Amino acid sequence: MGKTSKDKRDIYYRLAKEEGWRARSAFKLLQINEEHNIFNGVLRAVDLCAAPGSWSQVLTKKLRQNAENDDDVKIVAVDLQAMAALPGVKQIQGDITKISTANEIIKEFEGLKADLVVCDGAPDVTGLHDIDEYVQSQLLLAALNITTHVLKTGGVFVAKIFRGKDVTLVYSQLKLFFEFVTVSKPRSSRNSSIEAFVICQNYNPPPGYVPTMINPLLDHKYCDFNQLTGPNRFIVPFIACGDLSAYDSDTSYPLLLEGQTSYEYKEPVQGPIDPPYKDILEKTKSMQINNS
Amino acid sequence: MSTLIRTDVTSVKLYKDIILAGIGSFLCTFNIKNSKPIQKIQALDGQKIHGIIPSNCLTKLLIFGGKQFVIFNEIESIFKPRGDAVVYDDWIHTAVWLSENEIALLSAHNVVTTWDITTTKLLQQHINKDNSILYSGLLQPLQHDILVFSGTVYSQVILQWFGDEQPLHYLKGHKGVIFSIRCNLQKGIIVTTSDDRSVKIWSVTSACSDYNIKTYWKNAHIDCVHDLYGHLARVMRNTLTNLYIISVGEDSAICFWDYNGNLLKKTISHQNSCIWSLDADETNLVTGGGDCGIMMHPLSSVTHNSHDEVIDISVTPKKILFTARNNIVITRVDNILNYYNSNFSKIQEIKLNHTSTYQLVGLSSCKQLIAVVDMDGHLDIIIENCKGDPGLTKIIETQLHLGKILSMQWAGNRHLVFCSEGGVITVGASKRNTIEIIARYLLPPCKERWLTASALNDTRDALVVGDRCGHVHLYESRRQQPAYTMKRVHGRYGPTSIDIRNDIVRTTGRDGTVRYLKIIESGLKYMSCKDLEFEWVEKFLDSQGKYLCGFRERSLVVYDVENDLKVVDVSCGGGHRAWDAERYIENNHGCYDEWLRIMFVKNTQVYVHTFRLRDIVSTVILPGTHSKEINCLRTYRCRDDDPVTWFITGGEDTTLRVSTSEQEAEFRDRAVFRHLSNVRAVRLLSVAKDETLVVSAGGRAQICIRSITFTDRKVTAEELVDYQIKGTDKERRGNQNWRNCSVDFDPETRIMDVVVDELNEDRVVIYTACSDGEVRVFEWNRRGGRFTMTQEVRHHRTCILKMKMFTCCNKKIISTCGTRGDVAFWEVSSDGTLAEEPALVLRTNDSGINSVDVKVTGDCQFLLATGGDDNAVHMNLVRVAGEGRWVVVTSHVYRDAHCSQVTGLALLDGLCVTTGVDQRLTSVSWRVEGEEIKTEFIDQKYSDVSDIHGMDVVRDTGDRLTVCVYGKGIQVFELLRPPCVA
Ligand SMILES: C[S@@+](CC[C@H](N)C(=O)[O-])C[C@H]1O[C@@H](n2cnc3c(N)ncnc32)[C@H](O)[C@@H]1O
Repeated sequence: MGKTSKDKRDIYYRLAKEEGWRARSAFKLLQINEEHNIFNGVLRAVDLCAAPGSWSQVLTKKLRQNAENDDDVKIVAVDLQAMAALPGVKQIQGDITKISTANEIIKEFEGLKADLVVCDGAPDVTGLHDIDEYVQSQLLLAALNITTHVLKTGGVFVAKIFRGKDVTLVYSQLKLFFEFVTVSKPRSSRNSSIEAFVICQNYNPPPGYVPTMINPLLDHKYCDFNQLTGPNRFIVPFIACGDLSAYDSDTSYPLLLEGQTSYEYKEPVQGPIDPPYKDILEKTKSMQINNS
Repeated sequence: MSTLIRTDVTSVKLYKDIILAGIGSFLCTFNIKNSKPIQKIQALDGQKIHGIIPSNCLTKLLIFGGKQFVIFNEIESIFKPRGDAVVYDDWIHTAVWLSENEIALLSAHNVVTTWDITTTKLLQQHINKDNSILYSGLLQPLQHDILVFSGTVYSQVILQWFGDEQPLHYLKGHKGVIFSIRCNLQKGIIVTTSDDRSVKIWSVTSACSDYNIKTYWKNAHIDCVHDLYGHLARVMRNTLTNLYIISVGEDSAICFWDYNGNLLKKTISHQNSCIWSLDADETNLVTGGGDCGIMMHPLSSVTHNSHDEVIDISVTPKKILFTARNNIVITRVDNILNYYNSNFSKIQEIKLNHTSTYQLVGLSSCKQLIAVVDMDGHLDIIIENCKGDPGLTKIIETQLHLGKILSMQWAGNRHLVFCSEGGVITVGASKRNTIEIIARYLLPPCKERWLTASALNDTRDALVVGDRCGHVHLYESRRQQPAYTMKRVHGRYGPTSIDIRNDIVRTTGRDGTVRYLKIIESGLKYMSCKDLEFEWVEKFLDSQGKYLCGFRERSLVVYDVENDLKVVDVSCGGGHRAWDAERYIENNHGCYDEWLRIMFVKNTQVYVHTFRLRDIVSTVILPGTHSKEINCLRTYRCRDDDPVTWFITGGEDTTLRVSTSEQEAEFRDRAVFRHLSNVRAVRLLSVAKDETLVVSAGGRAQICIRSITFTDRKVTAEELVDYQIKGTDKERRGNQNWRNCSVDFDPETRIMDVVVDELNEDRVVIYTACSDGEVRVFEWNRRGGRFTMTQEVRHHRTCILKMKMFTCCNKKIISTCGTRGDVAFWEVSSDGTLAEEPALVLRTNDSGINSVDVKVTGDCQFLLATGGDDNAVHMNLVRVAGEGRWVVVTSHVYRDAHCSQVTGLALLDGLCVTTGVDQRLTSVSWRVEGEEIKTEFIDQKYSDVSDIHGMDVVRDTGDRLTVCVYGKGIQVFELLRPPCVA
């Protein structure tokens, strides 16, 4: 397949390269902001599951607009994977489901609270929807757990969510901690993709709630007001985000976009991260694996 | 009530003489001896079964999946639940029986719990220190304790004594998520598999000798002794037998290793889908796959493969053949024909009197007659006796005067077809001790002007032949010139075999295909094609057309095309040498066994391999189907009261399949067709009771039309149209320097949905919704076969997802729905074209529309229902007023049906049934009251099919509605319609 084939198939992949974002996900955060104004007055933010770092890029750009002095802005980015340095972004490499990582993040804020926590975490999908949805929800709950330690009252939490069979359990959990919970799908996210984003506003933990790292937040169970099947399910409002005139990620666009007169192929801003089987590829290069 | 379920088989277990399988939340059982299904029973509630563990006395089963577990009792091979499923707070990865009444579970936050199953009370809970999310685990029961193995995302295996604070060991070495852990205490071996595509064997050595005590493990050294690569993708699971380590993966591969790390055998199963589950005893392996199928593989196939013999003949053999009595005929360069019996002893030698060394040898289809002819026309025909001691007799020796003979084949058992210089085809039949010429034809000129295969159709007196250019010619009524020629049916070597059964001509070729043609009045009609995994397809070995042999590179392969299984693969050096293959049945004390025998020549020796099929062939316990998501599905029934339902499905795996189901177990694919890319939409247009046109479309802008005829459980297909909307010349040429290029061109368009309409007997119109926002209209003439684009309409500026055609107010109307939540209505003119502008445009949903239905409610009024990414069902009552003045009378939203994308919707009288990615099937009643639409919740069901892409109504009897949801699998439900809305 030609070099331009991915540019043709994925408009946001192409735009990310042209605008200097490390990943097409940047547009998701930008479009969420267009609808929900999540960056309003925000100076301190945590970016969970941040690699390769396009959300951190967006945060840097947007938060600096809120500050008189660049030094007033604090961004902490966390991921399992190492990511290339970004000026003004403190990086932590670690697993967000681990206590040690959470403690490191809390330490970074030195008692101050963050205004915004975002999490774009997604597991490597196995292909079995139920496990993938479960692991994704655990990432979200781990992020929520960290949030309960660092987010100021009234703060905002934005996280990727898989709207699968048990998503209402996550909704009801989030609703315990936030006054407003809505689910959104940016126009840059594919219609066919199971991912969406929860926008949780006005952090307001239940009275007497003491954040703890020892017992992670456990999943909710189906109950009378949130049934497995039935008329009573905990469904949060959906709000589409991104301008109607924005590019659509499902649409095939020609290489020459409307209003353009030339097209130039651009290399990706960041090379892909090494896959776990890289070693094996090297080792088996010389070896022939035959099907007998 | 769910009547049919096919989805990922996430768990399998061998239990006594039963195979247990977890298919969604259902426990399904099969008889190991005859593969017959025994029982299907729901075990969990809203969770897939990920593990089935029999108790130590084999009287109970522990079944778990997701956050639930349940205990079943067994009485005489029938399983019954002991109570409701227990819901725990964490995802259960593995479980074990501690005694007949106590179990232990390991869950995803690295927590071990023990339970009393008689009271379903939690006894003990131990939270291990490292509580990052696990992907796998193993609870190894010891005499009095439990050894806990936890597989983390962080590529480690943590080994811990149940109840201890500190782990005993960390097994480090994998580079990705750990997917499975198995342990054999006696051998001191641990086997792990991972995302990093490797299988690792760890050896445990300890100064202490009793592995039941903690000191053994405390003092143990655990080292990775073998790092094994055999899989090309993630290795999902492994299991251990006495002799083998068996691993399965995402690459559809099953690898059999010995404990020294040697790869003994690798086979591909489950149609290239992931293999999710496996279990083995000492004789069999069962696997469950992402293709929804279950297979059983005899372990004897790992080592014991075939009975091998070598026949040594000092002189180079020219041709080798298996005869009707499974004996062997070998012709040699020195004009001698040898006859060997099935025990490989030479029993006869016949001297031939040929003058030319160029000899052609042919075997009749009954395999009893052998013809040998040389270039000069000296012909011998030899017959094998059918009773008594085997023997050959020369029945004809004659001289033909046909010029230089270039090819000879038998057509059936009586006729020989010769082709001599100048393309002269002569058909001869044996008559007493000579050959009578019965017909002569002329082969049109081509580069190497002779025949590669021929067959005769007696009833029509028609001869079908293939030449070296890959053309197939039909000769009829003794006319010299072909009555019909079909060009390039196969590649440049020509068809390797041709046979005819009831007007259907089946040809094989070295282009990796079997093609089906039909003899009709006007000649030959192309019907369909079957693609094989190997390039060189030679011939069928049985009359049913089940076993097909050929060559893949240097190997001789035999395939079971019915079950899509490779049966034999023997490295022989390639197809250019002398070889033969046969399949036969032997009666062994009333027990019938199927055998395969292949032979080939290597260095003046004949190698013969004999296989008893049941030693090597995997058995299909439950037939598989699509290996990835089903994107589109339509059901068809020949008559309203017909119990047989046909499912026509298109999938992400680029196939279009026709399957049938009368009873559940009979659901199986009857035909499989390939597209260039994924199949996203399929529509049917019934043309006769048992015949329908199937229009399928999808990626790479491809549209195909086939006619499918249903007879009994059989499908006959005819390929009518295969069309691709092409880019401009510039794009097709590729390799452009786009930098300064200012020419616009077509992008990689996908067809998202299609609608088909019949203008009259001949004219069919196809409307396509394209990912570049265009509606493209095509017209196809059923008689003339022309398929042309007649119109391109652009209204939506973004991808169109769904389309629906209906009639209201005596107008044909098409609605198109896009990713922006917009619906446009188009009036269709009598010649099938769309109006220039939509009659009405609505924005119903907040985001993309993934399902749409319309119900006409009055003369000029209809209800539109749309569901989509905004997880709501929107209803709009629309009035079609004169002169294109359309108005929305009233609107309504129902938001509680789903919590995710609504992908399937059916609007019936008073009833709206929807489904979505949240795996729910929701029924809501609706009615129009004055200017208002009212809806009311009726019922909701949970489906085991994940990633639901849509729904089709199979039948509606008024009080009962049968619907089929599809996605990663399919499930059929019967809904009782409440009397108030019937
Ligand atoms: C979709 S990417 C995030 C992209 C990012 N927002 C950007 O804009 O560049 C998801 C990330 O989640 C990370 N991740 C997954 N599981 C994690 C975990 N347990 N702890 C930390 N990061 C995790 C992955 O390493 C991956 O980089």
